[in-house]
Amino acid sequence: MKLTRREFIKTNAIAAAAATAGMSIPGVALAVPPQSQDGVRWDKGVCRYCGTGCGVLVGVKDGRVVATQGDPDAPVNKGLNCVKGYFLSKIQYGKDRLTKPLLRMKDGKFDKNGEFAQISWDAAFDIMAEKVKATLKEPTQGANGVAMFGSGQWTVWEGYAAVKLMKAGFRSNSIDPNARHCMASAVAGFMRTFGIDEPMGCYDDAEHADVFALWGSNMAEMHPILWSRITNRRLTANHVKIHVLSTFTHRSCELADNELIFKPQSDLAILNYICNYIIQNKAVNQEFVKKNVGFFQGVTDIGYGLRPNHPLEQVANNNGYPGADGKPKGDPNKHTPISFEDFAKFVSEYTLDKAHEISGVPKDRLEALAKAYADPKVKVTSYWTMGFNQHTRGTWVNNMIYNVHLLTGKISEPGNSPFSLTGQPSACGTAREVGTFAHRLPADMVIFNPKHREMTEKLWKLPEGALSAQMGYHAVAQSRMLKDGKIGFYWTSTTNNMQAGPNINGEIYPGWRNPKAFVVVSDVYPTVSAMSADLILPCAMWMEKEGMFGNAERRGQMWRQQVKAPGESRSDLWQYMEFSKRFKVEEVWPADLLAKAPELAGKTLYDVLYANGQVNKFPKEEAAKVNAHAWAGYTNDESEAFGFYVQKGLFEEYAGFGRGHAHDLAPFDTYHKVRGMRWPVVDGKETLWRFREGYDSYVKKGEGVKFYGYPDGKAKIFALPYQPAAEMPDKDFDLWLCTGRVLEHWHSGSMTRRVPELYKSFPDAVVWMHPKDAEKRGIKRNDVVKVSTRRGEIELRVDTKGRNKMPEGLIFVPFFDEHRLVNKLTLDATCPISKETDFKKCAAKVVKA
Amino acid sequence: MNISSAIIHALPGDVAIVQAGLATLAGVEVHAISPEGKMIVTIETEDEGSNAATYQSIGQLDGVMSAAMVYHQSESEPYKEI
Repeated sequence: MKLTRREFIKTNAIAAAAATAGMSIPGVALAVPPQSQDGVRWDKGVCRYCGTGCGVLVGVKDGRVVATQGDPDAPVNKGLNCVKGYFLSKIQYGKDRLTKPLLRMKDGKFDKNGEFAQISWDAAFDIMAEKVKATLKEPTQGANGVAMFGSGQWTVWEGYAAVKLMKAGFRSNSIDPNARHCMASAVAGFMRTFGIDEPMGCYDDAEHADVFALWGSNMAEMHPILWSRITNRRLTANHVKIHVLSTFTHRSCELADNELIFKPQSDLAILNYICNYIIQNKAVNQEFVKKNVGFFQGVTDIGYGLRPNHPLEQVANNNGYPGADGKPKGDPNKHTPISFEDFAKFVSEYTLDKAHEISGVPKDRLEALAKAYADPKVKVTSYWTMGFNQHTRGTWVNNMIYNVHLLTGKISEPGNSPFSLTGQPSACGTAREVGTFAHRLPADMVIFNPKHREMTEKLWKLPEGALSAQMGYHAVAQSRMLKDGKIGFYWTSTTNNMQAGPNINGEIYPGWRNPKAFVVVSDVYPTVSAMSADLILPCAMWMEKEGMFGNAERRGQMWRQQVKAPGESRSDLWQYMEFSKRFKVEEVWPADLLAKAPELAGKTLYDVLYANGQVNKFPKEEAAKVNAHAWAGYTNDESEAFGFYVQKGLFEEYAGFGRGHAHDLAPFDTYHKVRGMRWPVVDGKETLWRFREGYDSYVKKGEGVKFYGYPDGKAKIFALPYQPAAEMPDKDFDLWLCTGRVLEHWHSGSMTRRVPELYKSFPDAVVWMHPKDAEKRGIKRNDVVKVSTRRGEIELRVDTKGRNKMPEGLIFVPFFDEHRLVNKLTLDATCPISKETDFKKCAAKVVKA
Repeated sequence: MNISSAIIHALPGDVAIVQAGLATLAGVEVHAISPEGKMIVTIETEDEGSNAATYQSIGQLDGVMSAAMVYHQSESEPYKEI
């Protein structure tokens, strides 16, 4: 029988899908493995987009990524791809890739108001070094005036090299990742409840849970592959139920058995009601609680993370801002021990009636949810994303979901899992684990703790006192300090804050254009941020460099450099290391510090930070050896440039922080062979469920459950109230404005809008609103309207149906569209503890344009 | 020509509706349906733009809970014998 190529490919396609779905179709078998087709070299890789961390096979031909497919051997996605992942091979090849450094110039020299002109890397580093040195000397700016805004899309070693350059090199703690906008509240929630960061469970919970509860997460669109695992569980096990909590109806609600549409901010009341229900119905797991949990009352007048002169901050006595006497007004994180009875009394006012009244959710639906959490025989996995994290009470609401799981003991075992999802591929791996936040160091350590600084200085071979204890500027503070002239040098990378950050009109744009600031943007495309900068540096991306990402289930995954970056573009890693050669220690460190380490005199930051005998330990030939199983003679651009296996050296130095401290990573070489491993990896074994004997080797025999993040081995349950949002609809601005994402585009769209198929499938942002809200304003579907807040206005088309169905009084606008910047409208109110912005709630109005 | 395959999840009660919806989409063929409502489909289109559009349309069909791509290949000589 003769086959056409079409029939042949089709058979392969069917066979691959059937194998992935676990179905057998008679007469169909994979005809040939992909490796042997058409001279395409296939290798394992990791998706570039969200925090799910799907494995993809990357096909390279003639130095170009020509194909990708879901990796059938990847445990995360088992061969599946979402529509964004399906077009991954195209993200590197947008027509407007940046390939040369560009500086704003007039008459042959830098001018903040000049036009972008091509310059050499040498000239770019010259002016950057000049600006850093000037900032360090400027009394109103100083070390923390040298600031960096990084990313949960940085590879692990890029984030690590950046932290070293900033915190040890320039002695500035003003380095923060865009993950601040994304999961800082999840981090603060983990640290407050457990004393250690990141989820105890893993994706395998999706195959074990009886009930799934989604809190402020539209997984069907934002985590479609994990959603397919949940869908599979729901449809193959009849007893499984799904509860979806949201402020509007979205795609995930289609599979919901119980849809709970609540008024913005009322999740706080619902969570307290569930705790009250559990207590009233004697469903507290007494034994678990007695052994493993302590109860605490948190301070409540913590403000809203606004500028100190805002009226809401002036009346807040625990926002930590300087008071009239110059001393900090309290501490938003403060909490004091209480008894179980105190806690029971505290939540007792959150009755079904009250929860219904505050949230607007029908009582039977609230009760059905509470019952599922309370029933000891039902295994519950809770998932949340930005609805919880982007919240002026984001830390609280994270604490409060743990309250529910801790009261019932439904935690740290298959199917019983409170699980914080992440939106970026290495929000966990880089931003959190490496510690690229203003207050952090690697492996959950913090700059305020002298012991942590001391340990870091030792591991980095630095003199005592090299690290500064002075808190740096976090993401939102960076925008404000740029505007106030306190930051003189600002370098952002792998992120697009001029589009994704809050209150662009009020803070970010005036900050970046402040003549006192020099703004550098490292990126691959001319994003809104790049076009607002003073200097643009062209970057290598994704498969153009060797990388490691850490996903939401603690899984670290590596890939090899597959192709070269175009033109003169270079990886962020190369940029940080090469730039560090521009500084002699004497130019950046005070004399008394250098006096403690006279052997460093005359050396450059490159010598001190990267050629320190540790990072440069592995010769570049090692790259070929480590990766020989993939292909012969492997190397990468950074190792060629610096003469040693840079990635391995950085990784192994970094891994020294976590090994033996419950953050153990496997040896570097292992990651290049396997489809990722979930830390802690002890004796070659990954950890699926933390804090439980039998799964987690840090819990000793006989201990059962141990929340070892705190010295007493206990987690904390917090008594925290419902409080209103920072800004609510009123007579002038009568609608809630919620922002977010759509399936087809990833975040600010800098990659997905350059994939023609994705661009065409969702070209422009729209505003979704309820048909009655539209009608009241004389607006029809597809009309162009003006959406405005106290901070700005944008014009876009109205949609009143389709994938998102709004309740009356609420509108939703996605933020992917650079021509309709919804963040001109958002308010830069943050959770006062986590400093994460609430992008989900501010007051807006809509009129016909 | 673009040839790709996908796994679609339908609620078991909605399989017939989803099948009817799929029948309205050009180039879509259903190859297998499991008792739980999982379907193996192929999508054949002339160019990648319409491939993506078809994939989008599948996701929007009534009764479709999730649709995930598995395999994709483009072929310039589909009718050549091998």
